[in-house]
Amino acid sequence: MTTKKAVAVSAAIALALGVSTSASHAAMAKVQTIQVYISADTNIQDLWVKTLVPAFKAANPGYDVNVTFDLHGDHDAQETAKLTAAATLGKDAGVDLIDGGFVTTLGAAGLLFRPTVGIIPNLIDVNKTVLKAGKGGIPYRGSSVLLAYNTKNVPTPPKTLDELLTWIKNNPGKFTYNAPNGGGSGYSFVQTVVDKYLSDADRKALVAGAAPELEAKWAKGLETLRQLNKYTYGQNGTYPANNAETLKDLATGLVDMGTVWSDQFASAVKAGTMPSYIKVAQISNPTLTGGASYLGIPATSANRNKGARVLANWVLSPAAQNLIVSGTLNGFPVIPLAKLDPTATGTFAGVDIQNLRAGYLSANANDLKSKWASTVPGK
Amino acid sequence: MRSLLSKTGKEGSLANNGSALSLLGFALSLPPFLLVLGFVGIPILIGFTFSLGFTRGPNRVISIIGQQIHPKTHWWGTLAAYSDVFHDSRFVGDLVLTLAVTAISTVLVILIALAIALHQRLVGGRTASVLATLSIVPLFVPVVISAWAIHTFYGGDGFMRSFFANIGINFPTLTSTSTAIVIGSVWTSLPFSILMISSGVQAVPDALIESAKDCGASTLKVISTVVVPLAQTPIIIAGSFTAIGIMGSFTIPLFLGPNQPTMLGVEISNFFGAYNRPQQSLVMAFIVFLAASGIAVLYIWSNVKSAKESGRI
Repeated sequence: MTTKKAVAVSAAIALALGVSTSASHAAMAKVQTIQVYISADTNIQDLWVKTLVPAFKAANPGYDVNVTFDLHGDHDAQETAKLTAAATLGKDAGVDLIDGGFVTTLGAAGLLFRPTVGIIPNLIDVNKTVLKAGKGGIPYRGSSVLLAYNTKNVPTPPKTLDELLTWIKNNPGKFTYNAPNGGGSGYSFVQTVVDKYLSDADRKALVAGAAPELEAKWAKGLETLRQLNKYTYGQNGTYPANNAETLKDLATGLVDMGTVWSDQFASAVKAGTMPSYIKVAQISNPTLTGGASYLGIPATSANRNKGARVLANWVLSPAAQNLIVSGTLNGFPVIPLAKLDPTATGTFAGVDIQNLRAGYLSANANDLKSKWASTVPGK
Repeated sequence: MRSLLSKTGKEGSLANNGSALSLLGFALSLPPFLLVLGFVGIPILIGFTFSLGFTRGPNRVISIIGQQIHPKTHWWGTLAAYSDVFHDSRFVGDLVLTLAVTAISTVLVILIALAIALHQRLVGGRTASVLATLSIVPLFVPVVISAWAIHTFYGGDGFMRSFFANIGINFPTLTSTSTAIVIGSVWTSLPFSILMISSGVQAVPDALIESAKDCGASTLKVISTVVVPLAQTPIIIAGSFTAIGIMGSFTIPLFLGPNQPTMLGVEISNFFGAYNRPQQSLVMAFIVFLAASGIAVLYIWSNVKSAKESGRI
């Protein structure tokens, strides 16, 4: 009886809510809704939902923004399939602006609305090489993977990758990186070690396009990583599942060193979940990877020339870039620092945000993740 | 579905003008059957053809996006994706881990559930009801929460290690081991089995237990010759449901298991998402499907048996 009653009550509430939302929609019929699709971690969700969207709506009445969020990009493959299918059929996919790692893949497949300074004027301030690398994606923020270390136990962090590898072997159980299929910070360490044995030309080829013929050259780096199994934290070569777990292991003192995303680390420090004695630094030869995050406007979006374009242009404005730098995200800007609020950009000391070493094209990155899983953990 | 069909059979035999009734019964059973066929059967068929290399029609989009796709080479397809999986160094370890975790966890779940059910039936009292009630609690905790709770409990800085460190014992870190997957699987599967088995054990008539005792049977004898055989059907149902659930589990092995080898549920997701190899992930899915079918046969057999005993068929 009681369950029936509960069902009836909740059905009535749902009905009432449905009625009220449809009524409010009718009242604001003139408002154009922009559908934003985000495939990322929760810090990016907060950036959009709590910071960018309210500021955009305040600056641009007449637009509403609806954010769809996919945690860790679990549905990237399905979303790509949906957009590809929509493009093939020439139909609106119901998404106007995408923020996610698969944007450049969509761009390479010719599924994005090509951004130019003519339609998005603020692109004039964006680095041309970064813009070109997006293959139709619009760079709007940057981040880098950095080496985080516990200053209580590590007064001077390693400066180069070789020094880091030596440190790991001299301090067993005190370093970790997460499984590359679970998050970009661990992936970056894997790619950096693999890149150590590659020529500059090979590295560039793997960033620019699918290059299966070069993958055999990863063997040396993967062997180096396998040999680290007995020196990293966890028995028999086990690694944290994702970015957040590496941060947790650092904060609780389980490890003294690990690779982390610059923005996630800065947010954790600000939120108080990361103790102040944990610091970050970049290594060299090669550096840990980083790069721009791209927005994509699907070529078939009905709003491509309207709301989507307005929102993308606004995100590149100094006002929005200041929010990206100083808000909860602590991201890197894509426009010159001179145009931004100097008090917010002071935290970038020591990190060269204009010269970030790019990650591989996603097809090569997928292969590297797979090769890592079959050759490194538990071997 | 089964009960609907059997009911029509029974009524059809009772009435002389049974053909009209059985037609009605058939029509009544059609909607769920068509639903299963449309939304489960057809996607399985499409998935199966894709695993064989049929890359056109409904499989076209995924074939454009996926990596290491093998298009068919014969009229019936190709086994190249199957060969990929069987030659992958990860697969054997994954399969062995999946089957071992499933077998060990299921046996543990049934033993614990049986112990609680028997205690409640034969001893009873306040402790028994408290124990039975407490054991249902995990049913109301979402799996992702319990997985994370177990992770922090047995982790490197978890409760167990901290507690034992205080008395000078170095308790092992259990997270990222197959032991942790078994602990997590047992924890999450227990409530359903307890509900199922204790209701089966409760249904054994007092008269039978008492007459066995009157004949001088020991408690152990009562359990092994009266209670357990009479509760066999619910025990088998609980066992097969638990085994199928654990075999296809994802959250528990993802949070608690090692990176490699991992259970097939996690590996399928890795292949589909992180490595972008949809064809190979489907091949693994069909292997899990086959293994689960074996368990399902046991379930159907026990259902048919109990239906025969009660005279329904």
